[in-house]
Amino acid sequence: MGRTGRIGPSGSFSAKNQDMAVDALSTGTTQLSSEARSRSRRLAVRHFKLSLLLPLIALFAFLLMPVLLLQLYFSFHQWTVYLGSWSEADFVGLDLFREVLTDPRFGWAIVRSLAFAISSTLGCFVFGFLLAYLMYKPFRGQAFFYIIFILPMLTVPVVVAYTAEMMLYQSGPINDLISRIIGVDFKPAWLSNPDIALATVALLEIWNWTPFSFIILLAGLSAIPKEPIEAAEILGASRWRIFWEVQLPLLRPVILLALVLRFLEAMAEFPKTWALFQGGPGSATETLPIYIFMTTWQYFQISKGAAMSYIVMLLMIVIVLIAIHLLRREKRSLDQMYEMRAKEAEA
Amino acid sequence: MSRSGFSRRTFLQGSVGLTVANFVPGTTPFAHAATMEEQTIAAAKAVGKADVNGMIWSPYLVPMKPVIAEFTKETGIGIGAVQDISIFDAPQRAMAEALSHSPQFDFIHIDSNMIPSLASAGYLEPLDEYIKKAGFQLDAVADYGKFMKYGGQTFGVPTDGNVHIQYTRKDLIDNPDNKKRFADKFGVELKVPETWEDNLRLQEFLMDPSKDLYGSGNLRNRANGPTWWYMIFYSAGGFPFDDDMKPTLDTPAGQYAVDLYLQDKKVNHPEAANWGTPQMIPRIAQGHVVSCQYWDGTCKTIANPKQSKTVDQFYFSLVPGSKFTGKMVHRSISSPLAAILINKYSPRKAQAAYLALWLGSGKNSIPIVSDPVNAFNDAWAKEHMKAEPVLKAYTPEGIKAVETNFQVVAPPIYLTGYLEFQDALGKNLSEAYVGQLPGKDVLKKTENEWNAIIGRIGRSKLKNDLASYKAVMPTKAVPT
Repeated sequence: MGRTGRIGPSGSFSAKNQDMAVDALSTGTTQLSSEARSRSRRLAVRHFKLSLLLPLIALFAFLLMPVLLLQLYFSFHQWTVYLGSWSEADFVGLDLFREVLTDPRFGWAIVRSLAFAISSTLGCFVFGFLLAYLMYKPFRGQAFFYIIFILPMLTVPVVVAYTAEMMLYQSGPINDLISRIIGVDFKPAWLSNPDIALATVALLEIWNWTPFSFIILLAGLSAIPKEPIEAAEILGASRWRIFWEVQLPLLRPVILLALVLRFLEAMAEFPKTWALFQGGPGSATETLPIYIFMTTWQYFQISKGAAMSYIVMLLMIVIVLIAIHLLRREKRSLDQMYEMRAKEAEA
Repeated sequence: MSRSGFSRRTFLQGSVGLTVANFVPGTTPFAHAATMEEQTIAAAKAVGKADVNGMIWSPYLVPMKPVIAEFTKETGIGIGAVQDISIFDAPQRAMAEALSHSPQFDFIHIDSNMIPSLASAGYLEPLDEYIKKAGFQLDAVADYGKFMKYGGQTFGVPTDGNVHIQYTRKDLIDNPDNKKRFADKFGVELKVPETWEDNLRLQEFLMDPSKDLYGSGNLRNRANGPTWWYMIFYSAGGFPFDDDMKPTLDTPAGQYAVDLYLQDKKVNHPEAANWGTPQMIPRIAQGHVVSCQYWDGTCKTIANPKQSKTVDQFYFSLVPGSKFTGKMVHRSISSPLAAILINKYSPRKAQAAYLALWLGSGKNSIPIVSDPVNAFNDAWAKEHMKAEPVLKAYTPEGIKAVETNFQVVAPPIYLTGYLEFQDALGKNLSEAYVGQLPGKDVLKKTENEWNAIIGRIGRSKLKNDLASYKAVMPTKAVPT
């Protein structure tokens, strides 16, 4: 409305002024209709977004929410499978949460899960990054290697476990191969030594899921703008310096995303650990998913299992919130960097 | 009557005479009495045709298929959808079915030690009425049939005896050089062991890891380990609970069993801590083991030249016993004892029940238990013990061992909450075996955990279960 017609200094309308007023009115109308159009476009976009989210909202409301509510009910009610219906279970308040939080087995399960998730996530990241760095520049036969590298991710985890079981015996092919390569008798008992059993699963997890990190990091590396790298090259920076001071900082949000997603997945690892160890030898591989499964489906302590699941869910929510916060911070710092660069270019 | 030349008196006298003759041993009855199998078919026909759905592991199902096909031909009752699930994973799945009162499966094939838990969760259909209508008799060896009962009702039909027998390497203990060295060292004859201590000594003496020959082939993993512990514990006079359902593990008998159990580490393969049957059976059959107590089906594997390098190289016999109580007591074990149980919520429970009875007839199950390749279903019926195909598959010596061990066979814990009790013990034994827990703490820790389980399930409920548990325990100290 800032450009509407003005009344002349004499206070009377000249013909010219009249024309201007008509012009101004018509401009105002045009602006009004354009605003309406933009509002309706915004509304359409919102409807479109909502329609995309609707299946997810429906899934949450009708499938996940009832389960979460039922689980919440169980975690506040002590239900023994053999003594009556679940609807008659006794209300026990926070007793089950207290029981879980003071259960040393649960504490150890958290420690094992964290150790497993951190080590396997880092392993996946390191190998995934190496592969991505080798692959991000086009070369002849790239598609072939790409397929080869993602194959482990396409293998069902239980199959990974059973295949590994056949190969990881003390006198099995893996130890034999390593012994031949290094020329020393290499005989770790991957499957029966409680000190390395969890590490065995972590190694299998790394083998199984490195491709996941590889795909994310490859996409991230390929998306890095070429200009800063070219500029650094012109300035005579070494490859290592370009990598350390240009590529890596630009890749930070993607790295964080790859680490977070992998960590969350690793915390929930069940099939390989169960197929290979069922929590043993001793209790060396009794991670959170294994202990929750055993409590719920081996011991049929549905209520305690529900309380455990809630505690783990809260733990994961905290981790996810921290991750989102870090990701936002990374994104902000990158945006600022790009803005600064744009301003510098303009100047 | 007069027209036919018979007087009324003559006819009556003749009738009485024939009736009496019918009961005289060795005379052939004039009227053809329907066999148990015929009665089962008649009863099944009365409930109508159906395809029943079940949860069963394929190695168990495969040899049953021809027997089921015969039943389908006669009655129209056959197998529909099958969930192929390992017998070790089936309890969790079955319990989930029980909790949801799901009618999805008409029958489940599962470890019969789950009967108390599943019956307590209201999932199982009692079979006594069907048994009566079909004139069915569970023709099990010794008191093995009792394993199907809980709270005075019958809930299962066995398909697999799974009794443990002793395997001792014939070629090693009959070797004259070994015999002489053993006699020189210990002053006694080298022979099939009678006690647990004899067994351990023999294993230590004959093992030679440099030739990949280990003394023991027993399982020591978390899931299976307790099975072996129970044999020693029971034979030492132990029983896990008193009449008030207080755990009685931490006793001299219990500690004796733990000590012997852990000593196996000296003679077993270094990786035994996590080995199950898929690893151990090939080692036994390929000749890498001196002796062990193992499931009877391994007889079939050993006797099958396509699967074994030790044909005729094993003695099959009674498991070792103990003189811990002052007199010799032998206790074998059957676990998991695979049986067919029927879902109470199934709309086809009658059809499923009659199919189970058909499969559970001693005569019908001969081809099932004698399959030399799918060796999971092991002999259990009296009729199996003399059937030619069974004797051929197990060898006569093997069947004799099976029959002998059945006389002293016990279950592991036969109570509601079986898996929970079992895992607490299994975890602690496994921790001790791998050095995470001192051996002296195993039983105290297990008792504490068992007390918590008892508190959760309810002492009074478990006290009621205790009668069923005691009823399935063997009464003989030594087989006759």
